[in-house]
Amino acid sequence: MFYAQLLVNGLVQGLVIGLAALSITLVFGIARFPNAATGDFMTFGAYSALSAHKVTGSIAMGGLAAIIATGVISLLAYLAVFRRLAERSVVALLVASIGIAFFIRAVLGVAFGHSQQVFQVPLSRPYVFGSVRITPLDLQLALVALAALALVFAILYLTPIGRQMRAVADNRDLARVSGIRPDRVMIALWLLAGSVAGVAGMMLGIKTIVTPEFGWEMLLPAFTAAILGGIGSPVGAVVAGLILGVVQEVSTPLVGFTYKIALAFIIMLAVLLIRPRGLFGRVEGAR
Amino acid sequence: MTHTRRQFIGTIGAATALIGAPSILRAQAQGTFRIGALCPVTGSGSPFGSGMQKMIIAAAEAVNAAGGAAGRKIEIVSEDTQTSPQAAVLAAKKLIDVNKVQAVLGTWSSGVSLAVVPLTNDANIILMNTSGAPALSVPPANAKGLSYRFQATNDRFGRAFAEICEKEGFKRPATMAFNNASGVGNTEGFRKAWEAKGHKVVESVVYEPNQPTYRSELQKVLAANPDVIVTGSYLADTTIIMREWYQSGQPVKWVMPGWAASPDLVKAVGPDVVEGIISVDSVSNENAPSYKAYDEAYRKATGQPGQSNVYAAMTWDMVHAVALAIEAANGTDMAAINAKIREVSNPAGQQVYTYAEAKEALKKGKINFEGASSVLDFDQYGDVTPDFGVFFIEGGQLNRRYVVKI
Repeated sequence: MFYAQLLVNGLVQGLVIGLAALSITLVFGIARFPNAATGDFMTFGAYSALSAHKVTGSIAMGGLAAIIATGVISLLAYLAVFRRLAERSVVALLVASIGIAFFIRAVLGVAFGHSQQVFQVPLSRPYVFGSVRITPLDLQLALVALAALALVFAILYLTPIGRQMRAVADNRDLARVSGIRPDRVMIALWLLAGSVAGVAGMMLGIKTIVTPEFGWEMLLPAFTAAILGGIGSPVGAVVAGLILGVVQEVSTPLVGFTYKIALAFIIMLAVLLIRPRGLFGRVEGAR
Repeated sequence: MTHTRRQFIGTIGAATALIGAPSILRAQAQGTFRIGALCPVTGSGSPFGSGMQKMIIAAAEAVNAAGGAAGRKIEIVSEDTQTSPQAAVLAAKKLIDVNKVQAVLGTWSSGVSLAVVPLTNDANIILMNTSGAPALSVPPANAKGLSYRFQATNDRFGRAFAEICEKEGFKRPATMAFNNASGVGNTEGFRKAWEAKGHKVVESVVYEPNQPTYRSELQKVLAANPDVIVTGSYLADTTIIMREWYQSGQPVKWVMPGWAASPDLVKAVGPDVVEGIISVDSVSNENAPSYKAYDEAYRKATGQPGQSNVYAAMTWDMVHAVALAIEAANGTDMAAINAKIREVSNPAGQQVYTYAEAKEALKKGKINFEGASSVLDFDQYGDVTPDFGVFFIEGGQLNRRYVVKI
C-alpha cells in the first residue's frame, strides 16, 4: 500500500513531465531541433495563468490564458527567429532557442520580480481509497492533463492539419511535393507546442511555486522523457514521462531521495543501449 | 594644461616636504586605524545592509568620542557587497589595496564571506562576518584565526531546535533537510544535540532542490508518526512541503529556521496552514545595557527600532571588539590586536557594556565586553553563541513567546 501511494505520487509528477516532453517532441519531429525554450514557455504559461487567475479568480480562465498566451509567444518566437534560421544547422537553432529562453526568463524576471509567487487555490483534504490518498487538486490536474493530451492527439490524428503535420514530420520533401504548405503546418505546430507547454507550466505552477527559473529547471527531465519515448513520438513522450515519474517515486525506499533523479538517467541509458530508437521509434510515432 | 602642471608640481612639492619631515607623516599614519565596512547595501541583503553600515559608522563615532583606541581615531571606509561574491571580492580588493584598511567588517551571507576571507587572510587582516556556514569556522577559511563570526552557526541553530523540542515536550521528532551545507547543518546539529539528551530521531530525510513535489519525502517522514518535524529548509521548498503536508491531513508540529518560516511563508500558503509552526531565529542580547546604547544609535540613524535588524547589532559589536583589542594591545600590530580580541570579549573579567566604560575598566585589569548582539564570547573557531527567539505563528502573525539560551 505504501508503494501504491508512491505510484500515485509518481503518476501526477509524470503527467507534468509528459506534457513538457510532448511539446519538445512535437517540435523535434516537425521543426527538427531540440527546443531549449520549452522550459521558459512553461514559465510563461504559469505567469499568464497566474495573472489571469488573480484578475478573474478562476482556474479555468487561468488555463485558457496559459494556452492562448503561450501559444502566441511560441508562434512569435517562430516568426521572429526560428523561421529565419530554418535552413541552418540544428546547432544554430538550438543556440537560438537557448537565447529565446534567456530572453523570456529575463523579461519575466523584470516584470514579475524574482521572489516566489503562488496560486492562491484553496487546499482541501484528500480522498482516501483504502490507504491511498488522492487530493482533489491532483485529480483535477490529472483530468486537465488528460483532456489536453486527448485534444492534442485528436488534432494530430483526426484533423487535416494534424495529418499534414504528421506528413511533414515523416518526410518533408514528399509532403511538399504532395501540395502541403509548410508555412501553415509550422504555424499550427508552434501554436500547439506552445499551448501544451503552457498547460504543463500552469500545472507545475499550481502544484509548486512560480519563479522565473522554475520552468528551466524542468527542462532536463522533460528532455529525458522525450528521448526515452523515442524522439518525435507524441505517445512515447507521454508514456516516458509517466514512467520517469513513477520510477523515481517508487524507487525512493531503495535508493533514497538524493539519487532518485540519477535513476531516471540510468533508465534512459539502459533503454537507449538496448533500444536506440527509444520506446516508441520515430517511424511509428509519426506515420 | 599649465594649471594642471602647476598643480602637479605643487603636489610633488608637498610630497617632498612630507618626506622631508617624517614626523608629520608619521603622526598622520599613527592617528588613524582604518576599517572597511563591507555590507550588503544592495541585493538580497539590502533590508539589512544599510543599517549594518550605519551602525559601523555610529560605533566608530562612539569610539572616537571616547578618545579613540590606543590614541588613534577609527576611520571607516564603506563599500557595498551587492550580496554577490564577485562584487564583494572587488570591493574587498579595493578596501585592502587602495584604502589600506586593517580590518573588514560586516560581510553577510556565507557565499560572500567565504569569497572575501581568502583576501583578508592574504593581507593578514581581520574579517568579521554575520554568516552561518560551518566552513567558515575551520581551515582553509579560518586557517589564520583572523575570521570572527557574530551570527550563530547552523549547528547552533540545530542545538536550539533540540532545546525547544525538549521544552515543548516533543518525544518523536523527525527531520527534513534541504541538501546543502546549511540545511543539513541545521538538522545534523539538531540530531547530535537531541541524541546527547538521550533521545532518538525517528526519521530523517534529505531532499533535493527544485522538485515538482515533495510528497514522497513527506510520506516517508510521516510514516514514522513523528510528533514534530524539524527542518533545515528555505522558503521555496517549505512552501511546497507545507501545502502538501496540509493536504495529507496528518497532524504534526513543525520547528523551522526563521528564514523559512517567515511572513512570506504565511503570505504564500495562508495562515490556516502555518498555524502553530515554531519559527526560530537568533535574537540580540536585548536586556544588556550595550543593547540599549545600540538601540538608541539605531533609532537615531534609521528611525527604526533596533529589533528590526539583528545584523546591525552584530556590526555595532564588531567595531567595539576591534577597538577594545587595539586599546588592549596598545598599538596597531595586527598579530597583537588579534591576540587580544578574545581577551577583551570573553570571561573572566569585569563585565562592561559601552566603549567608554570598557576603556576605563581596561586600565584596571581584565574586561569582558558584553555585546548588543550576544554576550560575545568567541570559541576556539571565532564563533559566538547568540540567544534564539522562539516565535509561534498564530493567526498569521509571528509572536515571540520566549528566548532560548544554548
